[in-house]
Amino acid sequence: MSKSQESSLRGTGKPASKSRRSLLIGGVAVGGVAALAGRLWQLQVTQGSEFAGQAEANRTRSIAVPPVRGLIFDRGGTQLVRNVPVFSIWATPADIAEDDAQRVSTVLAELIDGVPDEIELAISLGRSDPAEPIRVARDVARETALVVAERSLELPGIEIRDSTKREYSKGETFGAIVGFTGPIPAERAAEYARRGVRFDEDIGLAGVEKSFQSTFRGEDGRRLIEVDALGSEVRELAVTQPKSGKNIYLTIDADLQERATELLQRFLGDHGAGVAIILDPNNGDVLTMVSYPSFNNQPFAEGISSEEFERLASDPRRPLINHTISGLYPPGSTYKLVAAAGALEENVAEPSTSVECAGHLILPSGWVFYDWLLTGHGTVNLHRAISESCNVYFYNISGGNPYTEFKGLGERRLAQFGRSFGFGKPTGIDLPNEVAGVVPDHQWKTRNLDAPWVTGDTYQAAIGQGLVQATPLQLVNMYAAIGNGGTLFKPRIVDRIEDANGEVLEVPPVEDLGKVAVSATNMSLIGRGLVEAVNGSQGTGSRAKTSVVTMAGKTGTAEYSGPKDADGNPPSHAWFVGYAPADSPRIAFVVLIKDGGEGSFAAAPVARDLVELYFTGSVPPMRYVPLKAPNRASG
Amino acid sequence: MIDRPRPRPLDAAVVLSILGLIALGLITLARVGLPPSAGMDSQIVRQSVFALVGVCLFVLMSYSDYRALGMIAWVLFAISIVGLTLVLFFGVTRFGAQRWFLLGPVQFQPSELVKFTEIIVLARYFAKYQGEPIKFRVFAVSALIPALPIGLTLLQPDFGTAMIFLFVWFGIAFIAGARLLHLGAVGLLSVSAAPVAWFLMKPYMRERVVTFFDPTIDPLGAGYNVLQARIAVGSGGMWGRGGAGATQSQLEFLRVRDTDFIFAVIAEHLGFVGSMIVLSLFGVIFAYALTVAIRATDDFGRFMAAGVLVLLVFEVFVSIGMNVGIAPVTGITLPLMSSGGSSLVVTLIALGAVVSISLHRGLPMFNPPTRVGLPARARRIAAGIHERA
Repeated sequence: MSKSQESSLRGTGKPASKSRRSLLIGGVAVGGVAALAGRLWQLQVTQGSEFAGQAEANRTRSIAVPPVRGLIFDRGGTQLVRNVPVFSIWATPADIAEDDAQRVSTVLAELIDGVPDEIELAISLGRSDPAEPIRVARDVARETALVVAERSLELPGIEIRDSTKREYSKGETFGAIVGFTGPIPAERAAEYARRGVRFDEDIGLAGVEKSFQSTFRGEDGRRLIEVDALGSEVRELAVTQPKSGKNIYLTIDADLQERATELLQRFLGDHGAGVAIILDPNNGDVLTMVSYPSFNNQPFAEGISSEEFERLASDPRRPLINHTISGLYPPGSTYKLVAAAGALEENVAEPSTSVECAGHLILPSGWVFYDWLLTGHGTVNLHRAISESCNVYFYNISGGNPYTEFKGLGERRLAQFGRSFGFGKPTGIDLPNEVAGVVPDHQWKTRNLDAPWVTGDTYQAAIGQGLVQATPLQLVNMYAAIGNGGTLFKPRIVDRIEDANGEVLEVPPVEDLGKVAVSATNMSLIGRGLVEAVNGSQGTGSRAKTSVVTMAGKTGTAEYSGPKDADGNPPSHAWFVGYAPADSPRIAFVVLIKDGGEGSFAAAPVARDLVELYFTGSVPPMRYVPLKAPNRASG
Repeated sequence: MIDRPRPRPLDAAVVLSILGLIALGLITLARVGLPPSAGMDSQIVRQSVFALVGVCLFVLMSYSDYRALGMIAWVLFAISIVGLTLVLFFGVTRFGAQRWFLLGPVQFQPSELVKFTEIIVLARYFAKYQGEPIKFRVFAVSALIPALPIGLTLLQPDFGTAMIFLFVWFGIAFIAGARLLHLGAVGLLSVSAAPVAWFLMKPYMRERVVTFFDPTIDPLGAGYNVLQARIAVGSGGMWGRGGAGATQSQLEFLRVRDTDFIFAVIAEHLGFVGSMIVLSLFGVIFAYALTVAIRATDDFGRFMAAGVLVLLVFEVFVSIGMNVGIAPVTGITLPLMSSGGSSLVVTLIALGAVVSISLHRGLPMFNPPTRVGLPARARRIAAGIHERA
């Protein structure tokens, strides 16, 4: 090989320039390495602890451990709800990529027979706190849970958990009181979020479940776990146990409640509707509270079908409403004692003051106010007026008599005594949806009806008709006060609150809503009238008379505007309110037979059964004809 | 005069660096890959086999006269281009790109081979024009050499490898003395082509570019790997989190840990100190290749060494850069460390060539014959080809 050939291989052209250029490449390499080193210094040394924190946040997760919801018992300890273990399905939004959520939702919905859009919505709602799992299905069958678990690779972020659902016992009789739980209604989500309740939780939606939601709920525990990139738990790092919710013992006696329901049911059949309440007049404990017909709370807790709900919602008897506290009715003659107490207290009438009853009273304006007894009661004093329920007497002592120039109590004082007995505002019982009712006076009428108050309004108000509206609970509470000598209690529905170990945590105090502004003497005068009303020969409540106990009571026939019957009488609700034993009452009670006609016929016998049931402990035999379906003339 | 190749301390240093990086890569794969019981599916097993094969070829290459490569440059390039073409029709598709041939239990990636053959061909091409200023015609024709593999890899699609072909050509042309005017024009053209490239990009590529600038845009999707890699690297701190503490790697927050994000695994385990060790080992290799290029006694050797240097610098910078968030995610492997047989073997052969340039410096071609080399007849033919050129 020649020298020139060799040099051609070596390359002799401008080596210096090539070395310079090589060095430049070397410079680029040094620059690149320096850039990497600088960046590594920045990431690892300068920001190292920050990234270590992020890695820690990646690997650890604090998840809420839901507490066990508190239970509900009757006063004797009969369990009314249980927490039953179920499989539920939860999604952790952080583990589901946003563009994958739709697919995951679709796959999951197919497996659990759910709605893909609902699952996707829940996941997207959960993104506000993406590491916290949310529940997407409440109660799936074991087999379904297993299938979901098997396909976990297709379902990132989806897990099966053991949880519980509410299973109610005695739902037919306790449904309206106990209520039920369910998902948070959308419009209240923000409010619950503020209270630290997660949006996928079940909350109390009705009854005691609702009014004592925070008592039942308990407090979340937390688990700190280490997870891998798929969100699967690697190990548990720390755990704080949840605090179980508190248990509530109602004042209701389950046995009494069931039998009282039975009494109403056998009388009302499947066409009638009514209410029965038994209170302890000495402390306001509600022992029985029946609104018939009612609803079973179990289907609601499980998510009621729309057909079932439609059936309940369209029933004209409105079984979804607890009529004991949410139903408003004219109290009829049972309200006459307000006028009586007021007249005595204000010295408008003496016990001996007598009024001539001709069966009606005609005002100069031409309006005629009838007595229920068209032939008239003759000369009546307070005692007879109460026991025979003479309307004309109460017209006189309330609105006065333009002919005898007898000065009545007047609308203002009548309303004042009505309020004193607790009417016109909710009793404050710890149940949702209690209504206030109406104690009318001229202000109320002007404001609500834009019409002036007339004497006839006073007459109507005195006999519990016209504008007066009361709940059965308000009425029985008034009679409890009469029976106990004048103390109006806030009705108690919760007897005590215990923790999971049976330790009593709280006893809701007996709350005195105030002394009724009626002297004990006057109360006992009224009470004597009530005893006579049941036990006297002329008493309107004689059908309630029983050999078991001496009771005091009052009938009421509350007419309301509606289609008239074949004889042309307006429809009316039948009331019977009272207490027993008359001298030292242990119970106060009310029976309302809606659309039942006259109180003395429809309500009094049921009230007698109710009282006998309480004092004997057994359901008395059927001694009367059940309520007939109302026979109404068309138009 | 030295009559046969004899390694000097610098050569020994580069060999130790290479072995060190391979070993570190294997240790890392043992931590994050499938266990050896998975057989050839286990990255550590596969990589060990390739490392063994690669080291053998490295030694063989080192002691062979690199100038022989120049003689068969076009043949090698042609073969590798055929492979690159065939893979488009017969290759298997993984991660959305058709890059691999399936050869029994192993996969072969022709584009890795092209990285090296492109260097040989370009070195050979430019060596022909030694001593003359590079004319525009020569420069333009040289551009046709990378154009072919760039087109083929973009069809796979593999944007990152196409970029490598471009940079290697650019680097060798630069060393070979291409006029700065021409090079500047190419640079300007590339920049102005960027919008067109954006338009031609697949959606996933655009995502990668976007998430390179801000990975937090889609932290669970396209930006996930970038963010997690950054967290892994950063959380390593100064001294690393050791075996059990490296939760980013061990709990699999970090993905593609055996290839794209292998550096993040090392950085998390060994911290800044470990990162610097890796960078230093690569630094030794770079310095070596640079020295070889400068001291080369012929242009072919100089250009080849420079080409290998450009290739490795680019790969290391982009691969580590995407782990630390200063380069977009392109799927470029970390030389000598990432799991991937083709890359490891070809890188080792290329490094072997650089060592060969060092060892054969100043030695007359094939005379005396190297211990390891082509048969005499082949040598003669090869020499004939060379002389004609």
